[in-house]
Amino acid sequence: MNDALTLQALSAIRALSPLLFALLSLFVIPIVRSDRFGSKRDAHVRGGSAAVALLLLSSVAALLAGSGYGSTLNAGLITVDPSEPGRLLVTLGGAVFALIVAVGQGRRAGAMGQVALFGLALIDLALAIPIGLAPITLLLVGSASLSALAAGDKEDAQRARAVFRDLRTVGVLLTVTVMAELLRSAIPLSATDPSYATTSSLTAGVALTLSLVLLGMIGAFPFHHRLVRIFESLPIVGSLMVGVWIPAALSLIILNELSLLSSSVSEPIGGAVVAALFITGTVTLLFGGLSALLHDDVGEVLGFLAVGNAGWLTLGAAAIILHPSAVGPLLVALPGALVISLFGLWRISIRRHYELTSLQELSGWARRTRALGVVLICAVVSQAAVPAREFFSGGFDIAGQGGSLLVTVGALLGAGALAAAAVRLLLIGVAQESQDVHRTRKGKVLSPAAIWLMAGAILISGVAAGLINIEAAASGLLRPDPVESVPQYSTP
Amino acid sequence: MNPLLLELPLAAVAALSGALAVTSARRGAWIALLLMTTVAALLEFRPTDSLSPALLLRLAAIYGATLYALPAGMLERRALAHDLQPRRLIATLADHPVVAVSAAAGLILGAIPLALPIEGSSVLLRGAGVALLLIGLPPLLTSRYVEATARAAVVTLSGALLLRASILGALDLFSSIAMAAGFAALLLIGAAVAGQLTKAEE
Repeated sequence: MNDALTLQALSAIRALSPLLFALLSLFVIPIVRSDRFGSKRDAHVRGGSAAVALLLLSSVAALLAGSGYGSTLNAGLITVDPSEPGRLLVTLGGAVFALIVAVGQGRRAGAMGQVALFGLALIDLALAIPIGLAPITLLLVGSASLSALAAGDKEDAQRARAVFRDLRTVGVLLTVTVMAELLRSAIPLSATDPSYATTSSLTAGVALTLSLVLLGMIGAFPFHHRLVRIFESLPIVGSLMVGVWIPAALSLIILNELSLLSSSVSEPIGGAVVAALFITGTVTLLFGGLSALLHDDVGEVLGFLAVGNAGWLTLGAAAIILHPSAVGPLLVALPGALVISLFGLWRISIRRHYELTSLQELSGWARRTRALGVVLICAVVSQAAVPAREFFSGGFDIAGQGGSLLVTVGALLGAGALAAAAVRLLLIGVAQESQDVHRTRKGKVLSPAAIWLMAGAILISGVAAGLINIEAAASGLLRPDPVESVPQYSTP
Repeated sequence: MNPLLLELPLAAVAALSGALAVTSARRGAWIALLLMTTVAALLEFRPTDSLSPALLLRLAAIYGATLYALPAGMLERRALAHDLQPRRLIATLADHPVVAVSAAAGLILGAIPLALPIEGSSVLLRGAGVALLLIGLPPLLTSRYVEATARAAVVTLSGALLLRASILGALDLFSSIAMAAGFAALLLIGAAVAGQLTKAEE
């Protein structure tokens, strides 16, 4: 009896480890910030360090716990069955956000660490529970909540409006999600009574509503405003979590649902859903790339780069409807999140050094801060590598699946514009120094912090570009029904 | 007892209070929202035999979040009595004829099968669900006021869940927990953002 209880407790700890670390941060960070551990002036440094340690521990714990049967929690009606993609996102996300929080520091470093911890815990939980309304709802609600937490109580109208936009989006998408589930549940019923909607029309309806949730959340054109405002106004940890990592997890769930849906019907999904997704994806790539080239504010440029990334996810959704068993579209989400995170790392570093947001004013930044130049080169390389892998690797040719030369050319042009926008940031860095940049102290390339930053950027870039082949572990579809696939009361 | 006798007044109250939640100002809107969410939850979970944990969780989340989100001085008795006079409420609805007509149209539309295999579903639940969707969606998409948008989001989501419940029954436990968190988050975030915007604009 005791052994069974011990095993159950161990399974619970393994299944919920990211959530436990997030909850632990609610106690640890205020405690280390208290006067007992040092002066009040350094409280934010101690809070930030504690958050970094917890993020790293959460990352290692997710890696060690894994997604095997030993990590499956069965408690009454509740089953939490961690998935490989979820654990991979937490493992990589924990390390990436630890680096970003460590580099960013600032007065709210502890709070930003908590935003990252709770975001990763939500992602892990959503990818671990049975498919249905709950995982998508969790991610949508979590996204809005984390966006409000990241904004803090600062009296900043721009930040408040960005959260307001997020609230409206989530309110609409929650309703659309319920509608998608309603239509999906009606598919088997329609087979028994042909006097109502047909199976193919209901399937097209489900694909359309799920795609709307995906497009709205990832910030594809014309739903890009939310994403751009988030990157423009929220702190970088909040922007990345709400604008890139949570949408990446949501896209994995929705791509999985679209794959199951498409493979469950004999006829191809109609209603021009696939064509609309291909066109939206291409337009989003082009729009994101061109807008990133034309804007001057660093936050907005990053927002548009994230919009471009959303274009790849949209093309992936279209491709997986056509080829439900393809793994290529599932491989887009994680590298995309890592690429934008690298740009976020560069942004937070450069903002800390120069406190400038205009690219014109930042002219010549790379001449004085060469370590940040290395970070941006890593970002540019991985930015270019992601589409190159999709176009030329043997895995899966996303743009080529459009079946239209226009879609393929448009996607290639969009990818080119995105790469050009990233290169532009670097070219501005080696241009003549602006007066603002010239007045700032020169950064040391060989300081421990700079070496740590460059090593982290190179590693992230290696994973994003596919040189370190980690993300293949997450290429499998999420299990259609964990309750069926996992024996009840299984022990490790 | 005939379930129609219970569902008919509840569906009418849900539509009416939903309309007041998006059209009234301050106290009237918050009280109407509480009434609408309570009635919608009762219709969705149908606690005829016993109270389900999911229903209690939904109500606790909504009541807790509303109490936290309510601006100061909203529960003052005299002001409440003044704002909740039937004459005032009727005048509010008369000032927003489109919303009132949407509520009525939704109740009628719900009686018509929606091209889904739903002959086994409850007509009244469907009516209330469609009515709340029609009432809540326009302000959710267009309102410039944060609290009004949050209330509209709650009305719309309640409508969608009622429509779902009319065909598929109540939510499973996991989804119930997630939805209860969703309702609470919508209200709390709305209140926090409204407070920040007011301070920033001052």
